[in-house]
Amino acid sequence: MAEGATSGRPLSPHLQIWRFTITMAASITHRGTGGAIYGGSLLLSVWLYTLAFSPSLFGIVSRFVNSPIGLIIVAGYVWALSFHLMNGLRHLYWDSGRGLAPQTATMTAWLIYGASILLTVFILWSGYAARGAA
Amino acid sequence: MSRKGTSSFVIQRATAVLLIPLAIWLLINIVTHIGADYASARAWLEAPFNGLLLGAFLIIGAWHMRIGMMEIIADYIYSSLKGALLFINWLVALGVIAAVAWSIYHISFAG
Repeated sequence: MAEGATSGRPLSPHLQIWRFTITMAASITHRGTGGAIYGGSLLLSVWLYTLAFSPSLFGIVSRFVNSPIGLIIVAGYVWALSFHLMNGLRHLYWDSGRGLAPQTATMTAWLIYGASILLTVFILWSGYAARGAA
Repeated sequence: MSRKGTSSFVIQRATAVLLIPLAIWLLINIVTHIGADYASARAWLEAPFNGLLLGAFLIIGAWHMRIGMMEIIADYIYSSLKGALLFINWLVALGVIAAVAWSIYHISFAG
């Protein structure tokens, strides 16, 4: 199905061809975070699978999650999901035919970069504080 | 075949809407529970709704991811690789759905 639907189409101009604007950056970041969430969700599925079927493998996964690299991955996943969620709402709003004026789109792009970073800091801070207290 | 583009577009939006509350729930819970020890993580997912919500996020997310990755492949890959990548993309999505459903079932009812 997918091949039939996507063969013979022109390719998109590649990344390096665009002049930098914040709306273009947000568009690329939406795809980038989508790809990052794809990878992170595979890891989350592995975590869940070992939790269900193998306490010993879960121990290995859990040590990795709590290692410095694991913490960076968790932080990156939280930011990627925050950004993709908020920018996804922006896309759904666009689908309704609103919010498409260049000035509005530029403003909302900046807003989503700022808000997703703030949300990530808040989630990591409150999450690790709750874990520390437990 | 030529009409599949519209259904992908609609399913991409429908799964996006379903994923809004699920992603918010995951963002609230992930940091405290992803690094938890075995007993705490099991207890968290055995609680009513937690297993269901994580399963729904990953399964609906797998379908949303498959469509998004298909669009990326369609935009940037034009070679004999494309068909193989689209096929792998399907396998990954189906694999995630099967593994997650089986895991949640096992934790909830068989553990």
